[in-house]
Amino acid sequence: MGKKMKIILKCLLFFFMLMTLSGCLSAREINDLEIVVGIGVDKDEEPGKILLTAQVVKDTAGRASENGSEGDGKAFWNVSSRGNSVFDAVRQITYKTGNRLFISHNKAVIFGYDIAAEGLEEYIDYFLRAHEMRPTALILVAEGRASDILNIKPEIEKFPAFNIAKLVDSYVFTSNFYKVNMKEFASCLMSDTSAQMAPLVSIAQDEESNDIYMSGMVVFKRGKMVGKLTHDEVRGLLWVLGKVTSGVIIVPSPNGQGKAVLEIIKAKSKVTPEIKDGKIVIHIKIKEESSLSEQTTTENLADNKALEKIQEALAEAIRREIMLTFDKSRELDADIFGFGEMLHKKYSKEWKYIKDNWDEIYPTLDLIIDVEARIIKTDLLKKPAVPSEGEK
Amino acid sequence: MSIEKGTISSQQLLFLMAGFVQGSVLLIDFTVGITEHQTWMVILAGLAIAAPVVFSYVVLAKRFPGMNLVQINDMVYGRFLGKAISIYYIFFFMMTLSFNIRDVGELYITFLMPDTPFIFLLIVFTATCAYAVTKGIEVLARVSHLFVVTGMLVITSTFTLLTSQMDFSNFLPLFELPFIRMFQGIHIVSAIPFGETVAFLMIMGCLNKTEHAVKSTFFGLLIGAVSLLIVAVRNTAVLGRTQAIWTAPSFQTIRLIDIGTVLTRMDFLIGIAQTILIFLKCSILFYVLAVALSHLLGLKSYLPLVLPIAGIEVIIAATVFQSPVDHAMITQNAGIIYSAPLIFIFPPLSLLIANIRGLPKNGKG
Amino acid sequence: MFGYILRKIRYFSLKNKNDHMLQNNEPGKDHNEPISHDLKKSLEVIRGILRGSSDITIHEFNFGHNRRYKGALVFIKGMVDMEAIHKNILQPLMYDSLLLQGNVDMDFTKMDTIRKNLISITESQKVTRLGDLLDNLLAGSSILLVNGSKEALAIKPGRRESRSIEEPGTETVVRGPREGFVENVDVNIALIRRKIKDTDLCVEKFVIGDKSKTDIYIVYLKNIANPKLIEEIRIRLERIKTDAILESGYIEQFIEDSPYSIFPTISNSEKPDKVAAKILEGRAAIMVDGTPFVLVVPMVFVESFQSAEDYYARPFLASVIRIIRFLSYIISTLGPAIYVALTVFHQELIPTQLLISIAEGRERVPFPAIMEAFLMLFIFDILREAGVRLPKSVGQTVGIVGALVLGQASVEAGLISPIMVIVVSTTAIASFVVPAQTDSGTILRYIYLILAGIAGGFGVIMGLLATLMHLASLRSFGTPYLWPIVPLDFSGLKDVFIRMPLWIMPERPKAIVWDDVDSYSQSPGLMPSPYKKDSNDSQ
Repeated sequence: MGKKMKIILKCLLFFFMLMTLSGCLSAREINDLEIVVGIGVDKDEEPGKILLTAQVVKDTAGRASENGSEGDGKAFWNVSSRGNSVFDAVRQITYKTGNRLFISHNKAVIFGYDIAAEGLEEYIDYFLRAHEMRPTALILVAEGRASDILNIKPEIEKFPAFNIAKLVDSYVFTSNFYKVNMKEFASCLMSDTSAQMAPLVSIAQDEESNDIYMSGMVVFKRGKMVGKLTHDEVRGLLWVLGKVTSGVIIVPSPNGQGKAVLEIIKAKSKVTPEIKDGKIVIHIKIKEESSLSEQTTTENLADNKALEKIQEALAEAIRREIMLTFDKSRELDADIFGFGEMLHKKYSKEWKYIKDNWDEIYPTLDLIIDVEARIIKTDLLKKPAVPSEGEK
Repeated sequence: MSIEKGTISSQQLLFLMAGFVQGSVLLIDFTVGITEHQTWMVILAGLAIAAPVVFSYVVLAKRFPGMNLVQINDMVYGRFLGKAISIYYIFFFMMTLSFNIRDVGELYITFLMPDTPFIFLLIVFTATCAYAVTKGIEVLARVSHLFVVTGMLVITSTFTLLTSQMDFSNFLPLFELPFIRMFQGIHIVSAIPFGETVAFLMIMGCLNKTEHAVKSTFFGLLIGAVSLLIVAVRNTAVLGRTQAIWTAPSFQTIRLIDIGTVLTRMDFLIGIAQTILIFLKCSILFYVLAVALSHLLGLKSYLPLVLPIAGIEVIIAATVFQSPVDHAMITQNAGIIYSAPLIFIFPPLSLLIANIRGLPKNGKG
Repeated sequence: MFGYILRKIRYFSLKNKNDHMLQNNEPGKDHNEPISHDLKKSLEVIRGILRGSSDITIHEFNFGHNRRYKGALVFIKGMVDMEAIHKNILQPLMYDSLLLQGNVDMDFTKMDTIRKNLISITESQKVTRLGDLLDNLLAGSSILLVNGSKEALAIKPGRRESRSIEEPGTETVVRGPREGFVENVDVNIALIRRKIKDTDLCVEKFVIGDKSKTDIYIVYLKNIANPKLIEEIRIRLERIKTDAILESGYIEQFIEDSPYSIFPTISNSEKPDKVAAKILEGRAAIMVDGTPFVLVVPMVFVESFQSAEDYYARPFLASVIRIIRFLSYIISTLGPAIYVALTVFHQELIPTQLLISIAEGRERVPFPAIMEAFLMLFIFDILREAGVRLPKSVGQTVGIVGALVLGQASVEAGLISPIMVIVVSTTAIASFVVPAQTDSGTILRYIYLILAGIAGGFGVIMGLLATLMHLASLRSFGTPYLWPIVPLDFSGLKDVFIRMPLWIMPERPKAIVWDDVDSYSQSPGLMPSPYKKDSNDSQ
């Protein structure tokens, strides 16, 4: 009994000392956290340095109303610092906050326009490597300085970063831009041929207030920004990628007077690359369903003949959007569609020779687009309220 | 004579084996650096190669019922050579155990609790393993099915939650990588998850009925391999090209789960599953090491060795590598070479010699 | 210094052993001498031994033909039924013996004669040794001594004050019988016998306790319970050498398998239907005189989650409630630990909005989270313990004080955060759902909390693994403690997490019965269905 008890007692003492002396180092009380919800990276005036802006949650969010006189009711604090590298700047923020930043809840990383033009390769590493960063964080480019974007107080949300995340998620409604998270961006960066994309955020200058809105997408090539895509051009891209979820297409009505406005309900795409006689041809097949949501003409569009004509016009419109985007991408010489990777997957042997010359080959690609558009409902009206001349 | 009085049933052997193989799930993440999107092929090939080898283990164990590896070595190779080979095995178990303990420490240090002192994690983990080992193999075998079921649940549920983010074209093109990398990958996979089951040669002596041993072993191996396969497929499908750059692709994959506002941030789930499975693997290795060493030294029970072994293992685990990078490089390149004879050569050789010499003689064993 | 502490511990443990051994060798306590012939002498001896007790009554009287027999009745006033003594002992002896006619001259120095002809009480026992006489006297019998006889008759008056059968205080049910055991072990056995009217029901008696001489019975079904189990119980009971057995808890602590484990390996119950059900499964019940709590061995962990009324209700609700019980146990042991681990170590795992709310709530709190949790748990345990001891009149006030002051006011004062109050109160309420594991739950809660405060999620996982290993290695009289989960047994699993309908569970639990003898307690295939119409029926 003595010997066993001795061993057990010694073990217990050992563990007691171990636990109490060394264990708690990883502990961070919640009050000591500086919860970061958004990060902005800009070029600083000093050459070689960047300005990092972090949007930190203030604990007194609920009690802002108590301190009536002071405080502008902001629930967040944009703290910035300058550093030679991203991590350097992140640590230097502790000069102002007193605690390390807690980046795990970061929703978005916004790069300033100037940094994007210069090239993101130097700055992207920290955001992938830091163990607190999550690959679900969004990446965006600001049309201007990122710190300005983060400063705009939104009307509905408490934090600008939440607001931005919400805005980015709203792509499903219009399909005029799309969401890019860190993992996808990194995946595109790793590819030899694909061009990376990120949503573009701009500030709309109204008389009373500044609101931010999503104004399109930015195209990168090897980390450097090479151009912008407008809303319509992005949709052309999304048709091919099959990521169109909803949106509005306006086509002229069959009789030429007025427009038919259609809401996209569903869209699918199938892309097949093919190497024929030394030339690369991409077959794109789009299947789309929409509904007639509005018409500005008095002609009754809700009959089969009119619908067929509208469907043709619709298919033409979609084709045009795609070609518009493709032309823009040819102009920028950036493979935003990912055709290179598709070729890689299908023709791996040939790919070895093609990939080095992809920049020259890309503009010579041929697209064969086949669109099948259907209108499956006309919402609540069978006939327009304003009857046409012939029916009166 | 047997040091361990407990017996295990063949069903428990199945689960022990499955849990053991599942404990190497993070190992797949290391292999991805070499084999990228062809990891699933490497796993299948590794299984195909390891299966006959494991078969030889089971046949060997069935031929010498109730005897464990050290005793078999003594019988087959004679006293001196047999002891030398047993020492080689013990060295292998010792190093493997410390690598695995270090694995757990690295998992937490890199992802979940980065500021905790490394050795603290090692000590606590090893202490719990030691406690489990003092209870005996029977208790471990009894709870093994819980671990396996939990592991499978976590793996399949994370797979299903990520189906929306999967892109199966990431597997193309097939057969892109040069064969030398595939070969290295196959070597790693067959040696480490599947080959380390040579440790079971120490445990199979405790089976109470050896008729279903072959079936149990195979199903256990299969379940483990299927788990590894699902993990590899999931990681490749979700991460695509980026798989090769993360240190632990499984973790990043789980971090991508974002359904509603509730099912997000589940990285700890895989941390828990991984810890539990490695715990099972380490406990088995620990037990095997303790029993082998006590056989070698002629002790009556393995219990007095548990604490010293625990202390030694912690020290080895804390000091053997400089960083996770070092760990990965050495296990991928050097580790499999010194373990290859133990896994691929000696057991079939023992079987051959036993056949030739007609062992075990009647009445022995 | 270590050696000093260890030596002290050794000294105390040895001292206890020695004291114990000394006690049993007291000479002269056995009183093995026979009863004396002479009545006067016997009475003097008895008076001498029992000098300190003034409640011993000695009533001398004459009876028999021509009143030639001298007799004495010795009894303890409070313990006997006076009416029975008057009517059934003294009256027949003193009056009816006169009426006995006949030529046969009955010899009233033979206790058998008296017993068979005069005493109208059924339970009586002949004693010849002084020790037995005193035992019986102190147990509540009245002793009849006759001058000239070497024997004495110990007559049990047959009634004893005890509580009436009422609803047990600790196990109330919504549906099911509301009988509960009482302190009188004979009544308790009768309650069991009313449920199991089978010849195989065996009741074995033991008397344990040097000074209390408590009656202890093992109750089991002969052909269903494993004979090795009963043998083991016998061995362990006979090993006990102690002064007194005041409650079944004493027996429990002397015979249990793992005295150092915090988990109970012997279950207890106050309800006869529950105990009867367990006996029918092949377990053995240990009944101790003087307490309504009956022990049942062996026990498995999942039993703590089963209550008798699960089986009286239909399976669906019973299954849901079972699951709720399991979840409650998990919440009550792991709740504070997970909260502390998440908010202190792993804040990245909490959704952002929730994290911000928690941070707001904790803003003014001066303590670190683990201290807060510890303090709250501690206060809650104080409240709970006080609640048990409160006189009813003060109960309401203190309840309000506890809730308002400690909860609400502390939050307002900024001592604790509101979410901690929620966590701890949920934990506390959940801890009452599984009453059998309250003691283990309480201790585990603190342990996991400390582990979480030190090592976060890692600590909790290691703690859970260690607990699992410990539970898996426990055995209760041979049955693995985590059966049927750990040695996986599908037939047993039907009743663990959900409660399958009664007609799907025809077998007895295998790990308790062990032999395949008669393992079916009901015939399989009993699923109810409406009357199957004959093809000849017109409808």
